[in-house]
Amino acid sequence: MKFKDYYASLEVERDASDEEIKKAYRKLARKYHPDVAKEEGAEEKFKEISEAYQTLSDAEKRKAYDDLGRHRPGEDFNPSPEWETRFWRDGGPQQVDLADLFEQMGFSATGRSRRQGADFPIRGQDVEVATELSLEQAARGTEVSFSLSVPGLGADGRVEKQSRTGRIRVPRGVVEGERLRVPGKGGEGIAGGPAGDLYLEIRLAPHPRFRAAGHDLYLELPIAPWEAALGAEIEVPSLDGPVKVSLKPGMRNGQKLRLAGKGLPHRREGAGDLYGVIQIVLPERIGEREQELYRDLAAASSFNPRHHLEGPTTDG
Amino acid sequence: MADDLLIPDDDECTVALEELLAASGLGHQEVSELIQFGVFHLADHAPVWTFHSRTVILARRAARLRDDFGLNVSGMALALTYLERIEALEGRLRELESQLPH
Repeated sequence: MKFKDYYASLEVERDASDEEIKKAYRKLARKYHPDVAKEEGAEEKFKEISEAYQTLSDAEKRKAYDDLGRHRPGEDFNPSPEWETRFWRDGGPQQVDLADLFEQMGFSATGRSRRQGADFPIRGQDVEVATELSLEQAARGTEVSFSLSVPGLGADGRVEKQSRTGRIRVPRGVVEGERLRVPGKGGEGIAGGPAGDLYLEIRLAPHPRFRAAGHDLYLELPIAPWEAALGAEIEVPSLDGPVKVSLKPGMRNGQKLRLAGKGLPHRREGAGDLYGVIQIVLPERIGEREQELYRDLAAASSFNPRHHLEGPTTDG
Repeated sequence: MADDLLIPDDDECTVALEELLAASGLGHQEVSELIQFGVFHLADHAPVWTFHSRTVILARRAARLRDDFGLNVSGMALALTYLERIEALEGRLRELESQLPH
């Protein structure tokens, strides 16, 4: 099995006091806690420091850990034969990590003490899985498959990692960051305790056309200068096919065209809106005839777009 | 286990106090105080306390913050309020970013 240096994880010396360990943990937790930190890798880092803290903050566990001796992180090591017979099954120690080992010794990874042979009921562990959906899937509702490993009790009554797969029905109308809860489908309870819950976290994949903000969708909508000036009948794509829209004359850049109810549907009834954000664009190259027309337009128009920039500014 | 299709909680489904406590690890007193702080809301005026199922998500977060930072109830209430505000601002930011040209 691989050795993890819990002291290094918490950035403390091996002879650190309980108070120093607590302080170091709090400081790192504030930085990496998944409810607080959003940067990549924060969650992994937090798991590492909380695993370290669960062990080092408990005098009994800390002693057991110190007794393992000193190894380099990641180094393979073989604990004493006595440990082997006490805690390991035939599957061999290669398959367990330190957290599992402590779990088998009767120490719970969740902080609640879980003694081996406990006869009081303990609720099963909650598990979280994440899934990424397209906007179309989120709009229609879909089914997602998942696979996870949860601690459960083996036939011999010891804690072991059990893998599970399944499918979850995702109702229509979910939004980015939403968590769906499936009660009773997490880890099994111990000694007659209820099962934990399963949580599915929803992520929305970037869409080539639309950007979602809650239930509203945004679409960059390019129009030609003459469409902006004169108005036009145009087709705007939406999640359920193109929609005919009439542009009023005099559209401005950045103006939002609201298509009510064409966003992501709500769970029950109604839907968010789709906003076309107007971008007035010019063709990359224009032909001679077009140039001629622009020259005529320039000659005929008294429009000065920089009128407000002329003359001195009022405050000096 | 076979691949049976799991059905998540409905957004309008409610949970009883006992279920909220079991699912989150918060205590009765803590939940009661978080209601007083205006962080948790009761689902209706039924004689027994019921909560919207999304309160479970909030309560789990409260319990994590309590355990991982040693927060008391007012600390949890403050942190939850700030996190909610950050999420609202992030939503607003996404909305505004959606309106910028690519």
